[in-house]
Amino acid sequence: MSMTKYLIRRALYLVPVFFGITFLVFSIERLAGDPVKLLTAGQTRVTEEQRQLLRQYFGLDKPVYQQYLLWLSELFTGNLGYAYTTGGGAPVSTLIGQRAVATLELQLLGLAFSLLIAIPIGVMSAKRRYSKLDLAVTNTSLVGTSIPIFFLGIMAILVLSAKTGGLFPYGGLESISPNQYPYGSAILDQLWHLVLPTSVYTFAILAPVVLLVRSSMLEVLRQDFILAARASGLKESTVIYKHGLRNALLPLLTYVGLYFGGLLTGAPITETVFNWPGVGRLFVQAINNLDFPVIQGVVVVITLMTLVANVITDIAYAYIDPRIRLE
Amino acid sequence: MASRENPTQQREGVGQWALAWRRFKKNPAAIAGLIIVGFFAFLAAFDRLVAPYPPNCVPTPFNPFCTGQYSPLQPPSLAHPFGTDSNSYDVYSQVIYGCRAAFYIGFGATAVAMIVSVLIGLAAGYFGGNTDNLLMRLTEVFLVLPFFLILLLFLKVLYYFSNTGAGGLEIEILIIGLFSWPGNARILRSEVLRVRGLEFIEASRQIGASANRILFRHILPNVLHVLIVLTTLQIAASVLIEAGVSFLGFGDQTVATWGLEFYYGFNYISDAWWVETFPGIFLTLLVMGFNLLGNGLRDALDPRLRE
Repeated sequence: MSMTKYLIRRALYLVPVFFGITFLVFSIERLAGDPVKLLTAGQTRVTEEQRQLLRQYFGLDKPVYQQYLLWLSELFTGNLGYAYTTGGGAPVSTLIGQRAVATLELQLLGLAFSLLIAIPIGVMSAKRRYSKLDLAVTNTSLVGTSIPIFFLGIMAILVLSAKTGGLFPYGGLESISPNQYPYGSAILDQLWHLVLPTSVYTFAILAPVVLLVRSSMLEVLRQDFILAARASGLKESTVIYKHGLRNALLPLLTYVGLYFGGLLTGAPITETVFNWPGVGRLFVQAINNLDFPVIQGVVVVITLMTLVANVITDIAYAYIDPRIRLE
Repeated sequence: MASRENPTQQREGVGQWALAWRRFKKNPAAIAGLIIVGFFAFLAAFDRLVAPYPPNCVPTPFNPFCTGQYSPLQPPSLAHPFGTDSNSYDVYSQVIYGCRAAFYIGFGATAVAMIVSVLIGLAAGYFGGNTDNLLMRLTEVFLVLPFFLILLLFLKVLYYFSNTGAGGLEIEILIIGLFSWPGNARILRSEVLRVRGLEFIEASRQIGASANRILFRHILPNVLHVLIVLTTLQIAASVLIEAGVSFLGFGDQTVATWGLEFYYGFNYISDAWWVETFPGIFLTLLVMGFNLLGNGLRDALDPRLRE
């Protein structure tokens, strides 16, 4: 298998994509307004010269293509630049690093739980196709794919936090001060804060996984090798779990790969609902404050993650399923 | 008729569409979807008759169209069945006008997405070779882009130029459409590949039919069933995306949408549960209706696909 050749071919077309998307974002965001004006709005004592100095300081006085090239050359030395205002002008890489932990925590837990719940349900549903259980599972999943996550999240907050006198916190990573720790320790406090967002997130991404496992399982159970396994007198559970499930999990790999790619993209909505200090909210705040370096940094990180996740998925596929060849 | 040997054989022909309708009728979930979508279409069409107040109506003593007291965050009552939000808008009226916006978004974005995916799917599947290669690479590029983030950025730019935010809905529709074609184009391409290999296509090529004629008179009608199903499901997806954008406060605030009610209500969750609950129920129901309809259409139009 020509892995090197595959990687080179991938890189050949992913590199232009990377430059394209970063330049697109770079030029669009600059149409959204002047960050210096926003920063100094309502401050009558700031003179026009001072504003101009601030623009020079941020490098906003140069032509856009020069700014882009400068930013790009910094990027290749691993420097994502400094935020204009967010975090008091902190390095963008630090900002994203801090926020990424919160985002990954929520999303990886959600993914893990949803896979743990969805795989057995999907298999059972496929095993007893058209049974009452199967109908219940498919119909519930359909409702599940239709509920927007912010509605689900707000309902969870309404029922489980606000209305019942604070069974779970509204949102946020942790309590503001140690006096508010419900069970005395910081770790329990953080876990307590995780319950609501994680459960909502798990349920929100559960339905598509269930349907995927079910249809993939149905497809596999139709194959000749399952018939052969049954005919050779294997136990039904061995046929289903050892021969069936292992093959049915292949499409799930694509899903997980895509999920990792889009890990940070879907975050703004969930994180806003639960006031979760992750990358998604960082991005929304950066847009609202016209903090260009932060916007660019988030886009770079997300695009790179997607590209890398795609390549890893392809390689993993070829490794697990020998019928697939990298081209 | 007497010349026929066996008159019982003379049955009326049943077309593909009639057969599909028969299958569709037998599927209660599909019928439920049709009824839900129909109900919302009715609300959207007659919103001015159903809603007691005009959209985005802040009651003032001097406004003849919007009478009543300025009364924000009132719980549901006879005057306001779904309560009022923080702007003193009547949530019931906002929800009813939201139906029209939802259909506008759903059909608009889907029309854009489907035109692009049909053109790309047909061209890639039919011409093959380099055309196919190029178009499929382009599709992959679009799948990689962080589309939701770009959408937010574009809307921010728009609001810089139009401080009322008017026109944002159309921009949203256009961008959602322009980024929603890749998955659909891939599926259509594989369907086109299947049809292209059939004998009647070869036959029409042999008698000298042009590529245009083959594409739009022979291939397109034979992938129409897939197109219909994809369209229905895309409508549901587009409505959900727009609601998310509006919830984050990047929506067009001159148009009453369900997502916008979420945006207004989000800061008052503990005081006013009604502001989010009712739009959320409507949103979920409509999306579910289109999903049920799409699945029902898939089962009816293409029984082979049935899982």
